[in-house]
Amino acid sequence: MNRVSTLFCGITLSSVILTSVIQRNEKKTIAAPIKEGNLAFVVNGEDFVRQGFVSKDNWEVNFDHVYINVDDTVAYSTSSSFEPQKGDTKESIDHQDKVSFLDTPKTADLAEGGTDAEPILVSKVNATEGFYNALSWKLITADSQSAISGKTMVLIGKAVKDGETVNFNLGFNNPTEYVCGEFIGDERQGVVAADTPGTVEATFHFDHIFGDANTPIEDALNQDALGFQPIAELASNGTVDLDDMDLASQLSAQNYQKLTEAIAGLGHVGEGHCVISND
Amino acid sequence: MTRFYFWLTLVIAIATPKQVLAHGANIEYQETTAITIQAKYDDGTPMADAQVVVYAPSDLASPWLKGTTDKSGRFTFAPNADEDNVGNWDIKVRQSGHGDITSIPIEKGKLAVNNMPASSAGYTPSQKLVMAAAMGWGFLGTALFFSRKSK
Repeated sequence: MNRVSTLFCGITLSSVILTSVIQRNEKKTIAAPIKEGNLAFVVNGEDFVRQGFVSKDNWEVNFDHVYINVDDTVAYSTSSSFEPQKGDTKESIDHQDKVSFLDTPKTADLAEGGTDAEPILVSKVNATEGFYNALSWKLITADSQSAISGKTMVLIGKAVKDGETVNFNLGFNNPTEYVCGEFIGDERQGVVAADTPGTVEATFHFDHIFGDANTPIEDALNQDALGFQPIAELASNGTVDLDDMDLASQLSAQNYQKLTEAIAGLGHVGEGHCVISND
Repeated sequence: MTRFYFWLTLVIAIATPKQVLAHGANIEYQETTAITIQAKYDDGTPMADAQVVVYAPSDLASPWLKGTTDKSGRFTFAPNADEDNVGNWDIKVRQSGHGDITSIPIEKGKLAVNNMPASSAGYTPSQKLVMAAAMGWGFLGTALFFSRKSK
């Protein structure tokens, strides 16, 4: 019995000692310094906005301003790629880390800087080293301090076709939250290291509204796009100055539906798709 | 004597190194594991001849392999079994302004059946040893208890 007692005490004591050593080692691991770097959030209307384009119905469209009002932007670091599906919300993103960019909403002009401008910097924050491969952001109604008070987005520019010029100022109030996966482009984005800043980008595809003459007319992009002709037909003295309420009453129901769906579908991450959160 | 000179000549001819002209070809092969992906548009149309970029876990920023899908939207690659490359391999496919990226869990060059365990849920070897010792003592103690002699 003494031998058994001795053996029992020995195993118990060993277990206690090993456990305390493990906890000490774990504490040493947790105490390791966390490295940080810079992570920038940019918005991009691509060359469609910066350089203009020809719509599916052959209007040459150029923008003076493309204002958007963004808020509540969060970048996420996930262990495997997040592929947003219909019905997903930002709570669907199973992340290891996340970083928020905006304390207050910000109005940005996607046409700022000219034809060769870089994407527009909205915010830059410190972020833990890692790979930020998912993004969510909101377009919200701008307040009275904004250049586009009462709107989420305003398009200002002109379109030309066959000698006819139409100046347009189109305002939309369509609050939307986009939930997106990883940026898809030539280079991988979102990698943050202590000596190398990362970038996450909200991309807006305006060819979804007006179509693109360089894409076959039977392509889904052009089939789903409104084009510019329906808007040009609403011009008065060569000018279209309307908001979405006006457009709802003056466009046909089919055309207004195309427009609203295109507006909602503007948000991307490079070529990567986003879903609209209903939350 | 003639026989002697014959065999001597033969040995010298065999033993003397010859100059070899290294201008041939050589093919080696080995069995390996490959992963095939198939990319499609939302309407089910295959992304034929689409650009493919493969990223290994050891370097998230630099392409490990580039290629093109076939007419069926398929692309095949053989991930290596390096210890640094255990984890999610990310495959990016792009075409005509559309793109997608997906993660494939791979371990030792093969598709991992289960998702890679989160580091916070796994046990260290030391913890496993403690648990094993505790279980062993439990079994031993029970056996000793029932084997004691009644007084």
